[in-house]
Amino acid sequence: MNIATRQSGNSTVVDVQGDIDLYNSPEVRKIILEELKEKKVPRLVVNLTGVRYIDSSGVASLVEGLKVSRTMSSRFMLYGLSPAAREVLELSRLIRVFEVYGTEQEALQAK
Amino acid sequence: MDHAIKLTFPSDPRYLGVVRGTVERFAAMAGFDEEDCRWITLAVHEALTNVIRHAYHNRHDQPVELGLGERDGGIEVLMVDHGTGVKQEEMCGRDLEDVKPGGLGLHMIREIMNETDYQPLEGRNELRLFKKKGSKTSVGE
Repeated sequence: MNIATRQSGNSTVVDVQGDIDLYNSPEVRKIILEELKEKKVPRLVVNLTGVRYIDSSGVASLVEGLKVSRTMSSRFMLYGLSPAAREVLELSRLIRVFEVYGTEQEALQAK
Repeated sequence: MDHAIKLTFPSDPRYLGVVRGTVERFAAMAGFDEEDCRWITLAVHEALTNVIRHAYHNRHDQPVELGLGERDGGIEVLMVDHGTGVKQEEMCGRDLEDVKPGGLGLHMIREIMNETDYQPLEGRNELRLFKKKGSKTSVGE
């Protein structure tokens, strides 16, 4: 798995490539929480277009990001979910709690 | 039952991808469609992460045994560990209305598989999962 961050306007985009599972979800969690808690970014957008597989530990990292974003009054958004990633979020009944967009442009332009 | 495929590997998360690949291909060979193969793979993966986290407390050098076989028009998975057992009454998935990290794995396994039988035995714990062909997994929205 590769993970990197970049700036696009007032949004910080986290690009994740590869599977997110118990092996590497701690790294995803660390980056997300660092951006929200330490850098206090106003909008964090997680790009999942390169993620084919995500497990419950990966979902838990995203949920934690969402919860921290609420305490920090930041926006937390996801985009580019693969069918498998969407299925996992739907199975865990969590898809409805996230702001999910199809493309980066939609996420960046979201009011 | 005698499982056609038997794997023994360490409880190291590095091997999760290898196990997923094996399970997905076995399910496809057994005649499950692409979507069901993904579900079965997810259920086995979640069971394995539970073993690593809860039975072996994140120790990465403990043995896990996995058996894959076909019976009664479906797939049976047997996972054996030698770690800390969990009492049946303690195996409760979390309330899905409560949005918080963690506690999702068991819920996913139960939603996906038709049968989930966990037995904490003397010196070993056995988890037996069964999924019948044609039994679709419903994602609740």
